[in-house]
Amino acid sequence: MLDELLLSWENTYKKGQLTLWIFMALQESRKYVDEIKSFIEEKSNGTISCEEQSLYRSLRKFEHIDVVAYELQEGNKGPDRKYYYMTEMGQELFNRFVNRNIRLFYSNEIINTLKPKK
Amino acid sequence: MKTITPYLLWFTLTITVLTVVFRFILSYGIENDSVTVITASAIFYGFLMFGSGWYFGWKESDYLPIYDIGFRFHLTTYIVHNAITLLWLGLGFGSQYEDMKISVLIIIYWGILLLIHFIFFLWSRKNAIKNLDKNDLFE
Repeated sequence: MLDELLLSWENTYKKGQLTLWIFMALQESRKYVDEIKSFIEEKSNGTISCEEQSLYRSLRKFEHIDVVAYELQEGNKGPDRKYYYMTEMGQELFNRFVNRNIRLFYSNEIINTLKPKK
Repeated sequence: MKTITPYLLWFTLTITVLTVVFRFILSYGIENDSVTVITASAIFYGFLMFGSGWYFGWKESDYLPIYDIGFRFHLTTYIVHNAITLLWLGLGFGSQYEDMKISVLIIIYWGILLLIHFIFFLWSRKNAIKNLDKNDLFE
């Protein structure tokens, strides 16, 4: 029962997180899609998994609204790779989102609240 | 312009071919006074046009979900269908029994419907940022 509830909560919680993880990946450095995917899966300890198609779809949308752009760089083999990065507006959007929604988790009060209790 | 997507271009090409074929068969049917040919070609044309709009619209939404409540596809259909019809009749490819006035009336009445669609499109834009649905931007 508890596992089921946790899974259900997690499924809801994860919705809407892909954008944050993509932006965090690009905040670290310019990346191509495979690298973004690996970053997300690795840094989220495997709790967030994403299909390449979903990433491409999101990146196309972000590109369309000018928060993400890419430059072509030579790959190891095959065609050039698209290395994505945040535009100035994307960086500003990310900073403001983090300030409003993520930083609050760093306050001592919230940190104490998040400590497990018995 | 970013709203002219590859799928919209494929759609334009497809309906151009369909419309030329339809015009040819329709004129043949009218010339030979064949109700069967006229009716069957119109039904097939309608289905195929709708089907191609459906298919390319679906492919496009997967590629980039432009939030325009179908207006670009409708406008494209209006331009392609009516331009080909006018050219077809204007260049004398139509049947001798076809009347240009009817085609002009269709353009006017369809134009009114297109205008209504355009108003709804403008209305829907308040829910969009750069032509993408605000509620579907971030996943």
